[in-house]
Amino acid sequence: MTELFELHLRRRDLGRLVAASVALSGLAACAERREKIYPYARRPPGVVPGVATHYATSVVRDGFAVGVLAESHEGRPTKIEGNPEHPASLGAAGVFEQASVLDLYDPARVGGARGPAGLTSREAIERDLAAACAKGPPPWFVLEPSSSPSLERVLAALRRRLPGARVSFHAPLANATRYAASELVYGRALEPQYHFEQASVVLALGADFLDGMPMSLRHARDFAGRREPGPAMSRVYAAETSLTPTGTLADHRLGVAPSELERVAAAVLAELATMSETRVSLPDGLQAALAPAAPLPEAHAAFVRSVVRALVGARGSALVVAGPETPKSVQVCALLANAALDAPGRALTFVRPVLLEPDGGAPLAELPDALRAGAVGALVFAGTNPIYSAPELELGALLGRAASTWCLAHVEHETARACGSVLAESHYLESWGDARAGDGTLSFVQPLIEPLKPSVSVLELLAGLASDFPASGHDIVRETEHERLALGLGKPKIADFEAAWEREIQRGFADRGAAPSLSPVLVAERAVPALASALAASHAGSRASGGQDLELHLARSPTLYDGRFSENAWLLELPHPLTKQSWGNAALVSPRTAGALGRRTGDVVELRAGPRRLEAPLVVLPGHADGAVTLELGFGHAISENLSNGVGVNALGLGVAPGAAAHVAVRATGTKAELALTEEHWTLADDEVVHELTLRDYTQNPPHFAQNLAAQPTLLEPFEYAGTQWAMTIDLSRCSGCNACVVACQAENNTPVVGKDLVRQSREMYWLRIDRYLAGSADEPRIVQQPMLCQHCEKAPCEYVCPVNATVHSPDGLNEMVYNRCIGTRFCSNNCPYKVRRFNWFDFSEARGATVLQRNPDVTVRERGVMEKCTYCVQRIRRAEIAARRERRGLRPGEVVTACQQTCPTGAIAFGSLDDESSEMLRRRREARTFAALADLGTRPRTRYLAKIRNAEHEEAGS
Amino acid sequence: MTASAREADAALTDQLVATVWSGSRYFKLGFLLLGAGSLGFAALIAYTFEVGIGLWGNNIPVAWAFAIVNFVFWIGIGHAGTFISAILYLLEQRWRATVNRFSEAMTLFAVAQALLFPVLHLGRPWFAYWLLPYPARMHVWPQVKSPLPWDFAAIFTYGTVSLLFFYLGLLPDLASTRDRAPERWRRRIYGIFALGWRGSEDAWRHYRLAYLLLAGLATPLVISVHSIVSADFAVGLTPGWHSTIFPPFFVAGAIFSGFAMVLSLIIPARKVFRLENVITPRHVDACAKLLLVTGLCVAYGYAIEFFVAWYSGDEFEIEQFFVTRPTGPNSWAFYLMLCCNVVVPQLLWSRRLRTNLKLLWLLSLLINVGMWCERFVIVVLGLEREYLRADQAAYTPSWVDLGLLSGSVCFFLFLFLGFLRFLPIVALSEVKETRRHLARARAEGAAAGG
Repeated sequence: MTELFELHLRRRDLGRLVAASVALSGLAACAERREKIYPYARRPPGVVPGVATHYATSVVRDGFAVGVLAESHEGRPTKIEGNPEHPASLGAAGVFEQASVLDLYDPARVGGARGPAGLTSREAIERDLAAACAKGPPPWFVLEPSSSPSLERVLAALRRRLPGARVSFHAPLANATRYAASELVYGRALEPQYHFEQASVVLALGADFLDGMPMSLRHARDFAGRREPGPAMSRVYAAETSLTPTGTLADHRLGVAPSELERVAAAVLAELATMSETRVSLPDGLQAALAPAAPLPEAHAAFVRSVVRALVGARGSALVVAGPETPKSVQVCALLANAALDAPGRALTFVRPVLLEPDGGAPLAELPDALRAGAVGALVFAGTNPIYSAPELELGALLGRAASTWCLAHVEHETARACGSVLAESHYLESWGDARAGDGTLSFVQPLIEPLKPSVSVLELLAGLASDFPASGHDIVRETEHERLALGLGKPKIADFEAAWEREIQRGFADRGAAPSLSPVLVAERAVPALASALAASHAGSRASGGQDLELHLARSPTLYDGRFSENAWLLELPHPLTKQSWGNAALVSPRTAGALGRRTGDVVELRAGPRRLEAPLVVLPGHADGAVTLELGFGHAISENLSNGVGVNALGLGVAPGAAAHVAVRATGTKAELALTEEHWTLADDEVVHELTLRDYTQNPPHFAQNLAAQPTLLEPFEYAGTQWAMTIDLSRCSGCNACVVACQAENNTPVVGKDLVRQSREMYWLRIDRYLAGSADEPRIVQQPMLCQHCEKAPCEYVCPVNATVHSPDGLNEMVYNRCIGTRFCSNNCPYKVRRFNWFDFSEARGATVLQRNPDVTVRERGVMEKCTYCVQRIRRAEIAARRERRGLRPGEVVTACQQTCPTGAIAFGSLDDESSEMLRRRREARTFAALADLGTRPRTRYLAKIRNAEHEEAGS
Repeated sequence: MTASAREADAALTDQLVATVWSGSRYFKLGFLLLGAGSLGFAALIAYTFEVGIGLWGNNIPVAWAFAIVNFVFWIGIGHAGTFISAILYLLEQRWRATVNRFSEAMTLFAVAQALLFPVLHLGRPWFAYWLLPYPARMHVWPQVKSPLPWDFAAIFTYGTVSLLFFYLGLLPDLASTRDRAPERWRRRIYGIFALGWRGSEDAWRHYRLAYLLLAGLATPLVISVHSIVSADFAVGLTPGWHSTIFPPFFVAGAIFSGFAMVLSLIIPARKVFRLENVITPRHVDACAKLLLVTGLCVAYGYAIEFFVAWYSGDEFEIEQFFVTRPTGPNSWAFYLMLCCNVVVPQLLWSRRLRTNLKLLWLLSLLINVGMWCERFVIVVLGLEREYLRADQAAYTPSWVDLGLLSGSVCFFLFLFLGFLRFLPIVALSEVKETRRHLARARAEGAAAGG
């Protein structure tokens, strides 16, 4: 599973080699590979070999679309970028969007179709399924939550055709709490829209708005726009259980257990209800309803006081954000607080729910009873894996009670294993579709490639069953869009539809496709009693449990989401942003809780919730709430052939839904787990490497980090620079550590995945990693995330120690790596103070079959025994230069964008030429907070960092 | 020369050449065991060639580890030979005659081990020749700011000069062996290698001049080789490496380890071949004294390293010496190094101990271990903790690393056993000359006294 590299050495080969090296010629023959290549003789129209084309499409997760551009080389999709025009992307792409392209080439993908009698054809399965649905008890469909208008049409038709058919929308992290909360406060289900560019003060209640919400990419960009140090800089307060990218960038952060979050939210609202400025907008009787059962701990009370002071001070541009997974009471508090702070219409707007059947359709919890009762005919799972993601339903044992079971799956997962018939699901880059973004923008899913294996999309499968639809996904989506536009114009047929359709598809989202903003009216009479009863219920709940137990907090995994990407090698290896754990998850606890348990990182503990238990390694996470334990979803799959087999533990195995209140008993098992941590220790922020200061300190005494590096003495002869001078500036104030750049770099530069064993040996191959530093104390940490990549030193220590000129300087300021010349002495790595060079310990390039199709043809695939490192995406630089030369012009400002820069949601990374006065990179570099990492060594790095500025409250800054 | 002296010389020659004719059963057993070990060594080298050095425990940041440690260790061992042969020759230390052949052979075989590792250690060893300034079509030369091409050149030069020096010194003895060979085929073989040595006055005159010249040539090499090896580290930015004390410190360490290895080899050989009359306690005592002196140089080096780290005020240097070495991962090597290289040699102040051969042998082995640890401390502990604390990792050797180290020890001993078995192990002509010299001096002393 994690053993990606098998060593093939036959006895005869060994003998031969022994003989050869007894003579110890030492200088053995070259290891050249001979392969036949064939010319691209007949060129398909529109394909220019060597020139990449980009197509707009959308990545849809739990029903929410993010517009992306997919890069295609000679018909192979190789890379995903954000769609700059799409409102949910603005050009950025997150970890999951970036990694999604690898799933297309997953060697473990289901291919074709498998019936109860063995392998069969797609058509046969579809025919059989249609027949199975038509007879016996009504069918039950379990689908991923969706916002697709086409699917809406198809489902309507399907229901007409198969009356009694039930449809559940299931995903572990999807829930309808926010709709229920808005129902209480506004009398209707609403999709809240946050506008961080309008928000001067933000309170995040268990809300990872920078990384964990449907519109996070947009939030991040909007938020970053308000983080320039200065009077307009926003201030963020975060109360959260685990540590998230949002908590990383928050100015003040409070670690609270899930039950405490509710009390903090209630206290904030209660405080607002007493203040004259805000009381007016709040319903009467709120204060009484919110009267706390017990006083808050002083730290929490102080946090609440300063939050409320700041929020009220910024009334009109203040915003309270509750995470979608938080309890309804928290979300109700947030909505009421926002109303008190005049947020609606400014930093907070509403649209109607984006998802089809926002309440989730037929409750999945009723499925087991229906199965027991024999009331389910054909049971169809399409794009869902409930045996893994809802183990409390124990569907595995009950599937036999359905007349027949069907699964449309991307990989052989737990549910596919248990179903009678399995059909391959198309990847989004292979199929047509439509979906709405978090703000309601209608977006299109456009394929770039014919299905690599015979497969079908959910839309096509269900359309086939509904049977009055065209067979191809394209035609269904096109028809839906035509209907929509016709309806909008009030005409049955549109003359220029073809042009509009072409334009929409090209752009990736629809004309006038955004959802209209709503202005709902507060209905207080239901909200107040509901809030009072919810708070009372949870007080009772927390009193009932108590004891030595820890509160359980289930969270989205920042690397594997909810487990659907479990076969994605990039994501499996991706280090967790905070724990830096790769190939696995862990039970996260605060240092104090770990101390109380007497356990340390790596100790295996048993977590018990009622009858269910699981064993997980403990990882101590500074800043985590005391008295709680966080488990992240997505791990613990158990399909033996799969890559994810045995990697981590399935947090859902405790039978608790994410967001539900629960306690677990924690007991040490006495065993230790072997964790793959890419950073083993929490490193204290060091002035030589990172700087972190408060806004007040920064504005009152601007620092002078940026010494005149050019004046440093050096023994090396002056270098003749010519032309454009590439350089990078990274703003640590904007870096949330979300990892999008890491995956983007991996996808762009063909960086191999090495497997758990090699990660444990500290041999991961990332050209760009994120170093995590701890400022403040372990209980109240301030995290500084520092993307660390080749610094492209002007006096590069790697260059003068290379004996064979394999790493040299280019006239435009790049530190270049000549793979062909490298013999692998590794002296350069020893001499690199930033440790950004990676070595090909084995022949990683041949490791995994079909994934070679993903490789970027513009970037050399490195062979065994050579060094590699970040090139500042030299292939993109050269491509732009060639284009400029052909058009007889100079490079345009901003024409070259590195992969990490392009995808960064907050725009933390700026790249450009030092001679381009207009560049953002240079503008940032001239700020007083610019510094070079390890400047004293005299390496004169071209990469500079901007110190992390926290907009902390003054009293605290002074103390 | 009197007849009795001539007879005594002949008896001595017989005694010393006799080792070539009669191998005991133990030799065969030794060859078998060490041969098997050497084959295992070759197999591991083949395995590494085929699969890649990922088989080792190296990682990022510890990109250099066992291979470089072994390389520096063996090159260091290789220093005593030339030191004894050349420098002591130039200083007219006549007692060296009894041990120089041993130590030269040891040098040669140690350098052979040392040459293997840097090549094997490369990511693409088949391109090792790119380190040489050969006339390449592409006009690409080695990058001479890097110490590595110099390293390569220095080791090659040292290896070549050591071989020539060894062979030249061997010539008269090869002729003696030829002359005493019982069988014709042996006479043929030794005859070929003796290059027609007849022992004429002319030949001796040329021989002495050539030997003196080679000794003169080899002397600076003793200093230069390890100075250049030390530059592999001193040129680097790494805390714990970047130090101007390294060249003399490395040379002292090399001679220290070389003498320890000489003692480790000579004490058993003296016993096995009954050479007590040739290699007397006085010789061993002289070696032990040199061990003490060089040991003190090394201890001084350690002290200065720590002092300079503290005096520099550089937080990374201070962390390397005062935190990483005593408390970091693999700090056992640091303590073992201090114990073996600083504490243990102090026993050599005692004359009783210097003449207690069993103890001295044990002590020399400990010093060998200590010097290997010293290189481990410099290379591995230096890399384990560097500038960025966020990207630190510990090092654990793999079984291939351990196998290669023990394999190289086997191969070294295998070669050395071959030397013991097939070549005169003591420089006959020089010993005879020394005896005559002594006899003359004694006679002159007696005459003057009388």
